[in-house]
Amino acid sequence: MSDTEKIKEKRKLWQEKVMDPALKRFKLDKSPTEFYTPAEIEGFDFLSKVGFPGAYPYTAGVYPTLPYAVVATKGSLPSARGLVRAARYSGYGTPEDTRDYYKMMQVRGLRGGPNLAMDLPTQCGYDSDNSVARGEVGKVGVCVDTLRDFEVIYESYTGDLDLDKIASNFTINAPANIIIAFYAALGEKRGIPLEKLRTTPQNDILKEFVARGTYIFPPRPSMRMFRDSLVFIAKYMPNVNITSIGGYHIREAGATRNQDLAFSMAIGSAYLEEGVRAGLDIDSFAPRFTFNAFGGSMELFKEVAFQRAARRMWARIMKERFGARDPRSMLIRQPLGAHIGCSSTTAQRPLNNLTRAVMGAIASALSGSPPMAFPPYDEPLGLGWSLEASQLAEDAGRILQYEARLTEVIDPLAGSYYIEFLTDQIEEEAWKELTKIEDMGGAVAAIESGYMQREVSRSAYERQRRIEKGEELLVGVNCFTDESELEVVTSRVVPHPYDEEKREQAEELQIASLTRLKRSRDNRYVGELLRGLKAAAEKEDENLIPRFIECAKAYVTEQEMCDVLREVFGEYHETAMF
Amino acid sequence: MGKMRPIKVLVAKPGLDGHDRGAKVVAMGLRDEGMEVIYTGLRQTPEKIVQAALQEDVDVIGLSCLSGAHNRLFPEIVRQLRENGKEDTLVIAGGHIPDKDISFLQDHGVRAVFGHGIPVKSIAEFIRQNVAAD
Repeated sequence: MSDTEKIKEKRKLWQEKVMDPALKRFKLDKSPTEFYTPAEIEGFDFLSKVGFPGAYPYTAGVYPTLPYAVVATKGSLPSARGLVRAARYSGYGTPEDTRDYYKMMQVRGLRGGPNLAMDLPTQCGYDSDNSVARGEVGKVGVCVDTLRDFEVIYESYTGDLDLDKIASNFTINAPANIIIAFYAALGEKRGIPLEKLRTTPQNDILKEFVARGTYIFPPRPSMRMFRDSLVFIAKYMPNVNITSIGGYHIREAGATRNQDLAFSMAIGSAYLEEGVRAGLDIDSFAPRFTFNAFGGSMELFKEVAFQRAARRMWARIMKERFGARDPRSMLIRQPLGAHIGCSSTTAQRPLNNLTRAVMGAIASALSGSPPMAFPPYDEPLGLGWSLEASQLAEDAGRILQYEARLTEVIDPLAGSYYIEFLTDQIEEEAWKELTKIEDMGGAVAAIESGYMQREVSRSAYERQRRIEKGEELLVGVNCFTDESELEVVTSRVVPHPYDEEKREQAEELQIASLTRLKRSRDNRYVGELLRGLKAAAEKEDENLIPRFIECAKAYVTEQEMCDVLREVFGEYHETAMF
Repeated sequence: MGKMRPIKVLVAKPGLDGHDRGAKVVAMGLRDEGMEVIYTGLRQTPEKIVQAALQEDVDVIGLSCLSGAHNRLFPEIVRQLRENGKEDTLVIAGGHIPDKDISFLQDHGVRAVFGHGIPVKSIAEFIRQNVAAD
């Protein structure tokens, strides 16, 4: 009898002789707990399923070691981690406001480049003076209409913080190529060549149609723009990442874990296809694909298993479907690992969100990423986080790393019967969903038909129903809410580094400076450039980024460029919900 | 006297905010509560929202905004509704609305703000109790 058969037999006996009497004693119909044995992972082969960190299939981790995992240093305090991590997502108001914010943060010790948040009009290809921008200018980020705005923002990054010494992160999708062009033009003005620029544009348009909504053009012309970015960056910008693929946003929009993984893999595959179709060797661009994050949930073990499954799945896709040979093509490179989504936080008893964020940070540390307790606890209380909440989040990560020492062993749960079972299960289910999408024609087809969007809103609704029926519990929201419970109040006293008044005045000020700028530039030349851009856009094979750079240098606005593209590409119209 | 027609609700996303999970969940939930629901989709200007409300002759407008544009856009929508003689329409809201803005919105015609964690059932109850009688 094999070991597995012996265990299965023993389980039957245990169920009869130990479990059933216990259930009877506790008056339970069935056990609320499970127990895993080697029988649940029959045939598990360590070398093919897990292997070593930093080696195919990367289940245990993408790197063999983690430079930031240094726990104790003799005589000196821990210093900055070895791997570059993006700074806090930031930016608001006018470019002047954001420049001043960064200057202030630098005085407080901020090193490294901006993780720039841009406002919704900028993200949606509208200028600050467009009527659809009313009320939105400078709110969720800084307004960026022209190169001038980048010049102002980056007045805070000169000298030994000049563009060749820092990395910038841009959360920008539909008009990513225009923002890349602004950065390139800025570099050119400062005598810094393209190959020295370091940036990660988010540049993940497909998830916008499914989860985030800052699209402009329909999916296919959007993929042409993606192709332009891939080819241009691969060719001229060796220190730039091409994309930051976000399953995170899809999860936050309500997707299940399975949908998050499958849709991310489908979307990543669609982007890779663009490079292949453009005739590039896979290994010449795939190493510059990154992932934003996959989001997470409160279910610690499943999120640890998810990260392992995601790494293994992407590595398999890269090797088997795309024929990658360079190990660096097969890695899931992400700044944040598992963490709870902002949608897991509650406005009720908000300090509990710190506890929740710590669960995510533990999941992250146990699955190969730094323990970051994201988001800060006051996430649901309004735009932006208080400095107190950010401090506690930072300290939580430090406690997990330096006191709990969670990063000393890579993939410590490897070999756990439960975790290996979960990893296999999550990967298997995701392959099924991915195959379904590929059979539809891939991610673009699945978006054009509305499949991904419908699935996500269906999952979101199903979860809401479970919460309202009490089948899913949220402490302080649908349970433990009677009068015996304290509503613990927090105080956030330290003034937020964003000036509220300035944010309110941003729209008026920016409209005024945009008006001045439009009067002072060579408008005849602008017209000429836009006509040239239109003609180029009509040619499927032409890469528009060099044209965007020329437009940028002439202070053509983002919307002026986007309007030309709208004429040629059309605008995306959401698929109807009901 | 005929059978009471179902309450008609327009769920709208004013401004550029693209986070529609809440709006869609509320739209589906209110539909399951027996109301007739129209969801506008993203990127609605105040003008478009009011036009849709008039065209569809809705009883309730639910506004969702997470981008911080609520103080500007919601009062504008109420103002235009009143200009068009629709002061009876029940206007409610949700999204990412800090506590400190709730009384401002209420002063400008938003009857209630339904924040995080409020069940759709409560929203439906509120609507039933507050919608203008025919």
